[in-house]
Amino acid sequence: MLDARDISVTLGRKQVLHGAGLSAKPGAMTVIVGPNGSGKTTLLRAITGDLASRGTVTLDGQDMRALAPHALAERRAVLPQASVLAFPFTVHEVVRLGLTGRIALRPDAAHLPTRALERVGLAGYGARFFQELSGGEQARAQLARVLLQVWEPVQDGTPRWLFLDEPVAALDIGHQLQVMHLAQRFARAGGGVIAVMHDLNLTAMFSDRVVLMLDGRVLAQGAVQDVLTDQNLSRAYGCRLRVSSPPAQGATYILPQAAEIA
Amino acid sequence: MVALPWGRSAGRDATPDRVTGDRSGRARVTILALMVFVMLAAIASLGTGAAGVSLSDVLMKWISGEELTLRERVVLFDIRLPRLLTGMLVGASLAVSGAVMQGLFRNPLADPGIVGVGAGAGLGAVLAIVLGAFLPPAILAVAGMHLVPLAAFFGGWATTLILYRVSTRAGRTSVATMLLAGIALGALSGALTGILVYIADDQQLRDLTFWGLGSLAGASWAKLSAAAPIMVLALLVAPMLARALNGLALGEGAAAHLGIAVQRMKNLAILTVAAATGAAVAVSGGIGFIGIVVPHLLRLVMGPDHRFLLPAAALLGAGLLLLADIISRLIIAPAELPIGIVTAVLGGPVFLWILLRRRGIVDM
Repeated sequence: MLDARDISVTLGRKQVLHGAGLSAKPGAMTVIVGPNGSGKTTLLRAITGDLASRGTVTLDGQDMRALAPHALAERRAVLPQASVLAFPFTVHEVVRLGLTGRIALRPDAAHLPTRALERVGLAGYGARFFQELSGGEQARAQLARVLLQVWEPVQDGTPRWLFLDEPVAALDIGHQLQVMHLAQRFARAGGGVIAVMHDLNLTAMFSDRVVLMLDGRVLAQGAVQDVLTDQNLSRAYGCRLRVSSPPAQGATYILPQAAEIA
Repeated sequence: MVALPWGRSAGRDATPDRVTGDRSGRARVTILALMVFVMLAAIASLGTGAAGVSLSDVLMKWISGEELTLRERVVLFDIRLPRLLTGMLVGASLAVSGAVMQGLFRNPLADPGIVGVGAGAGLGAVLAIVLGAFLPPAILAVAGMHLVPLAAFFGGWATTLILYRVSTRAGRTSVATMLLAGIALGALSGALTGILVYIADDQQLRDLTFWGLGSLAGASWAKLSAAAPIMVLALLVAPMLARALNGLALGEGAAAHLGIAVQRMKNLAILTVAAATGAAVAVSGGIGFIGIVVPHLLRLVMGPDHRFLLPAAALLGAGLLLLADIISRLIIAPAELPIGIVTAVLGGPVFLWILLRRRGIVDM
């Protein structure tokens, strides 16, 4: 159980988070959505410790900020938004950096980077230079590294966590679905996933819990159908939106057109 | 590159590294080859010198149990051996501090010699040489021979700290700022050193002159024993930084998420660079280009993984400096050229070649 309470962040002179909070369970996918500048990435970065913040973040009742870096690395992995690599590492070498802590002691550890690459659809890319990949391929290679760090979603009965900052932003629709399925599978296997997303339809399709943000505060959080409502979304995004359901399956999807027609 | 039968590129199966992208097998083979290279260079260095003592004569005498002449013993054990060990340690220290600094700054152009750390260490050493005479005898007795290398270490440390503060913001280093700040710091250290030269007496001036050019000619057991502990310590600490430097290549945030205590490791890296550069400068003056050329060549051959790059840099740095020292003794024999001139003549063009190949780095 991950609990972030009353998180406030000030960047420069501007307070960008005002007592935001969320709770997330292992075995479920929690997605943070909201308009540009609403503070979703800031909230994630406050939780992962990338940003200094006020408030409390606890992981199974333990203060997350009090954990030593290596202990924390055993519990969770973080996928950053696009990053610049300093030296000409091969894709295999980048992924291998995720081989840290107890996972590195496994007898099959040398083969795991290759398997992680297969999992993100980059089989055979190991010998390419990371810097020569396209943006989308780089994003998936980084995902392979992050997946490798928490290879087993549950280790010794303790669930592990994936924090994903806009994991599908650079991807085409096929790879978007692939990455979302990977994250979902991690959650179904008992791990916890917290992702920041822009795409409301992917959010509706894959998340178990949605956190909707506006102006540095959490506007609503809970199950998809309770949070992604006409009223909430129209207010958060400042435009008319209508939530619809395809009649057969009953899943939620969002079409701006639907609001224009009405 | 073909996978060698004994290269363990991917654990149990012998898939070549150009398929898997795992260059650790190639790196191990490179390190073994470099060990042989250093040994050969060391033997050549022991056999080279103006005195005309040949290594084969000495070996023959040793095998047949004949006594060495006093001259042979002095040349070998009191002149060439300390010079050999000093050259190896200085070469290893300069190459490793270059590799560590490049990892810390996340930039292949960071080099203690280029960005003023060497000059800062030089200023520290000159301060110790010139002003040391004014210190109370009690302090001199305690500090003794270690005063110059220690002062060089502090000079290098201060310069590295200032450089890092100036050129790095939120974990991102601006290359232009780093190089320009390095020029400014180097010029400042040079100017202060110049002022000190004016108040130096004749004996001190002689000490200072060998310095500016960089030379191993002054190597002695006394100087070596003062600086060697610092260099050996830095060389032993450097491999502990490997994982952190690999993580830093992804950025500070990503490194922290991989479980690296980033701030502590950065401080340790800065101390290591200052210790290795400071002690090397203290015994041999300004020997340039080893710190930038060696890691760059190695990255071309075996990739940038610091777990292998750091030991390989130590070996290649040691071997190359021994070769440069041999050239410096042979080229105008029986006189000798300061080794700094040799490394500059060889390293300068290589550095320009690196710049031409990777102009994009500077435009960042």
